[in-house]
Amino acid sequence: MPWLAPLVAMLVVFTIYPLIYNVWLSFHEYAPLKRSLVYVGAENWITLFGDERFWSALSVTLSYFIVLLVVQLVLGMLIALLLDSDIAGFGVLRGLLSLTLVIPPAITGMMFLLIEDPEFGVLTFVLDILGVLDSTTPILATSSTALLGIMLADIWQWTPFMVLIFIAGLRSLPQEPNEAAMLDGASALQILRRITLPMMSKVIAVAVLIRGIDLLRAFDYMFVMTSGGPGTSTYTLSLYAWQQTFSFIKWGYGATISLVGLVIVLLLANLFIYFTRVRW
Amino acid sequence: MRDRDMKQHRAILVDDYVHGRIGRRDFLRKAAVLGLGAGILGSGIARPGGQLISSALAQDLRPSEEVLKWVKDVSSPFRGTTLKLATESTPPSNAIKDRLKPFFEEASGMKVEIEVLPLEQVLQKMTLDIASQLGTYDLYYIDQSWAASVSQDVFDPREQIADNPDLAMPNYQIEDFLPALVDGIAKYEDRWVGVPYDIPIFIMMYRKDIWERMGFEAPGTLEEYYEQAKAITDEMGPDVYGATGQMKSGHYSLECDWTAWLWGHGGSIFGPDGKFAGNDERGLEAMEYWTRLVKTMPPGVHGWTWDGQGQSVAQGVAASMMSWGEFFPYFDDPDETKVSGLMEAVRCPPPKRALRTVNQTGYGEIPGVAHQGGSSLAVSKNSKNPDPAWIFMQWATSYDTQVLITALGGGTGPTRASVYDDERIIANRRVGPGTTRHLDVVRESIAKDMGSEPDLPQWAELSNDTIPVRLGKYFAGDYGSVKEAMDDITEAVDEIVEG
Amino acid sequence: MIVETAATRRTRIVLAWLVTGLFVFPLYYWVTTAFKSSKDIFNIPPSVWQFSPTLKNFEEVFGISFGYLQRQEVGMGGGDFYMTPRLIDSIVVALGSTALAIVISTMAAYSLSRMDFSGRHHFVNWILSTRMMPPVAVAIPMFFLYKDIGLMDTHLGIIIIHALMNLPLAVLLLKSFFDDVPREIDESAIIDGATRWTIFRRIILPVASGGIAATAVLCFIFSWTEFIFVLTLTQTGLKTVPVVSSSFVTSTGTAWGNMAALGAASMAPAFIFILLVQKQLVRGLTLGSLKQ
Repeated sequence: MPWLAPLVAMLVVFTIYPLIYNVWLSFHEYAPLKRSLVYVGAENWITLFGDERFWSALSVTLSYFIVLLVVQLVLGMLIALLLDSDIAGFGVLRGLLSLTLVIPPAITGMMFLLIEDPEFGVLTFVLDILGVLDSTTPILATSSTALLGIMLADIWQWTPFMVLIFIAGLRSLPQEPNEAAMLDGASALQILRRITLPMMSKVIAVAVLIRGIDLLRAFDYMFVMTSGGPGTSTYTLSLYAWQQTFSFIKWGYGATISLVGLVIVLLLANLFIYFTRVRW
Repeated sequence: MRDRDMKQHRAILVDDYVHGRIGRRDFLRKAAVLGLGAGILGSGIARPGGQLISSALAQDLRPSEEVLKWVKDVSSPFRGTTLKLATESTPPSNAIKDRLKPFFEEASGMKVEIEVLPLEQVLQKMTLDIASQLGTYDLYYIDQSWAASVSQDVFDPREQIADNPDLAMPNYQIEDFLPALVDGIAKYEDRWVGVPYDIPIFIMMYRKDIWERMGFEAPGTLEEYYEQAKAITDEMGPDVYGATGQMKSGHYSLECDWTAWLWGHGGSIFGPDGKFAGNDERGLEAMEYWTRLVKTMPPGVHGWTWDGQGQSVAQGVAASMMSWGEFFPYFDDPDETKVSGLMEAVRCPPPKRALRTVNQTGYGEIPGVAHQGGSSLAVSKNSKNPDPAWIFMQWATSYDTQVLITALGGGTGPTRASVYDDERIIANRRVGPGTTRHLDVVRESIAKDMGSEPDLPQWAELSNDTIPVRLGKYFAGDYGSVKEAMDDITEAVDEIVEG
Repeated sequence: MIVETAATRRTRIVLAWLVTGLFVFPLYYWVTTAFKSSKDIFNIPPSVWQFSPTLKNFEEVFGISFGYLQRQEVGMGGGDFYMTPRLIDSIVVALGSTALAIVISTMAAYSLSRMDFSGRHHFVNWILSTRMMPPVAVAIPMFFLYKDIGLMDTHLGIIIIHALMNLPLAVLLLKSFFDDVPREIDESAIIDGATRWTIFRRIILPVASGGIAATAVLCFIFSWTEFIFVLTLTQTGLKTVPVVSSSFVTSTGTAWGNMAALGAASMAPAFIFILLVQKQLVRGLTLGSLKQ
């Protein structure tokens, strides 16, 4: 099928070649003195399983993924329900929300770095006034709050993405079931649970899939905001692989970490597709 | 009146004038007493709101015709070459990129492309270039902590001079580079890894007004510094804190602060046996001091690199910092900061006990309270244009260019001895952006107080990750005690060093 | 529609504006930072509403003069924050990669929408799974590949990699739009003797143009905001906005005002695109999970 050829050709270059290269690389390591790659057998894989920092990065990645997926899903749905109305001005609100999508995550990271600065940041100031967090606890420099500080940037940027998807979904739903249910005296909450959400299931599934893939590969925000710190509390798999690859020139080990990351995404995504029966 | 006092009086006087506390006539009369020529007025002191450096002066600051003529002559076979360099955004690199490069390009017929990136990214690009032997960068900007790792990948400038006399710049005077800097920044074993290019070094910068109000003298010992910082924080906090730091977890800057206190207490990173020595008695004493001192700093220090640290002083949140002298000219800029004219620079307090000598440490580590973070500039062996790159490098690090870099407001410490004495540099000792009134302190610190990190290929990883990540965990409270934290660092460092 | 009482309606309006306000506030803060001097940026407490506006940051970043910038000497981080060429790089890369991605993906999506072959579902899944590769893992192989074939540090190189990155989503999205076009149209055209190519060009493309526009906007945005590939595959030849922002981080501090000025200015092109195709975009975001 010649129509598919360009696509397949490009995807092979983009995925099959890097994949094979990474697998090959994971059995090699760069030797600084020889200025070349040498075969090291399964050493990288063995190191990986005993590497505390790998496990810590894995757990950070997974908690980032789970927490943000749930928060963005719930928050996104709530705001979508709130904004799904023809009241004058709501179109403007939806337009304003879509603004967050055009800002590069790297710049969003810098933006929140300034907002969350322990001395000069406006968020710190507000939290201090509210008594939530006083200025002696710098958000991004405290192990227990640093990941939350980064999550905030992600939530800010991507919740509107969910909102827009869900509004599109809500708007395309037929109204008849709702009306019938109302005549039967169902409450708004019942309608939401029994009718709206089930009809939205495919939209929700796709949103979860797309967002989930990106959350598991999270990199930009921690790269600019904390570089993984304090300690190792915001190192994700992507960032750890990046550090090994580019800062320490451990290409083999970096590739090994990346491969594990890839396997996790593939596994979770395919399980999800299988169980939710998403069909394209 | 001693020379040093005189300078201080001049600075105060100029400051008073700039801030409108004394009139012009008063100023001129007092200035004459202090031997301050009327010329200084022409060189750009102005009331706030006015232009800070007269444009006449800026226009006078052009490369010498002689140097440009040499560039032109020697470059004739290389016209049309494009040179690439990746550098951190530092004052010298910016001055070259913005102001001086066009002169070189016009004279040489070459094109110079300078890629400005944060330090970590510069180093990543450089190591990737070396590892892949790409040769996309003709010159490397090498932070001193990386000198050992790349020593085999760059030319030794002394060999370049000897091997190619036709390309050598007349009067380049390689011996003019401050010997302490050559030792600390450029040298690895017996090779020169380029020439010293810039020298940020720790000096003590403090708010003269606050110190005076508290009735303090400049700190004479580390302990006194702690007492003063604590008194200020107790008195003025949380609006103003006595000290500040660059203690972002997992960042190189945290390691820099650590070494200053470590060396200041007579400790060292390595012992002569090549093992980590930061957890010996002196090392623990330094940690204990540091832990106390941190309590006098703004809570934000744990998230700041030099950036936040500098801003905390610039915006009046912190009253002092023992850190990079490069910041001083910025503090004096009334457009950008709230402390213009209020800062004073002195040498760091002396170490608590005698410093260890190089023989008592490992890997060429030179203990000293004034941590240096200098960088060298070198021609890459992977470069496809080593000769034109060498011409550019000589020009960029020549006496004439360095004077211009410093006078144009970069304010970074020159790496050549002669530049400190140049009249154009001395003329810039006024309050205002790009001041050079701190350079005497910088020069003295380089000569007497400078501490240099060890040179070993693993140092880049240790200083950028292993040590600061664990120190960060310590300050975040992840360890039960200082001892536990330092033991963990010891284990990790020794394991990496033994490879 | 559920009938709302006046009170719930009022609550809804207030809540809606409040929530949107929360999301817009960081943007407001960032955009106003672009008009502040360092003193105002670092004021304590933060100056949110009151500051003395200046165009200095824009003057430095875009090399134009409104008369705010008077200094002669090199200031913090140097005066050279001139970013106009970098903005052009960004636009060239984003437009180029969008065009490339759209050409390839419309063809592929059309064929996937019309052809039934066993395992199509798996094939589509495979396309999606190419998006799951961590960019870090792609960066190194691509670095060596680009070095060998001379695409390193070129606009073309970045255009290609960004197009590649966008293909999976673009194909899925376009397939859903094409699925909406009834197959009967194709079939009747074939009976009239039209070739597949003619049908594609004359019928499918015009009918699905709204969907294609939405896909194009998404591709544009993803290229506009991409970070890792530009970081690793460029040197001095080009830089896009997200990567070049880090050059405002200097050894003597971060030039927040300049960074914000670039950030604010760079929102404009992408935002204009969004406004133009907002309706299709919102539907596009659902990636074909809605059937019309």
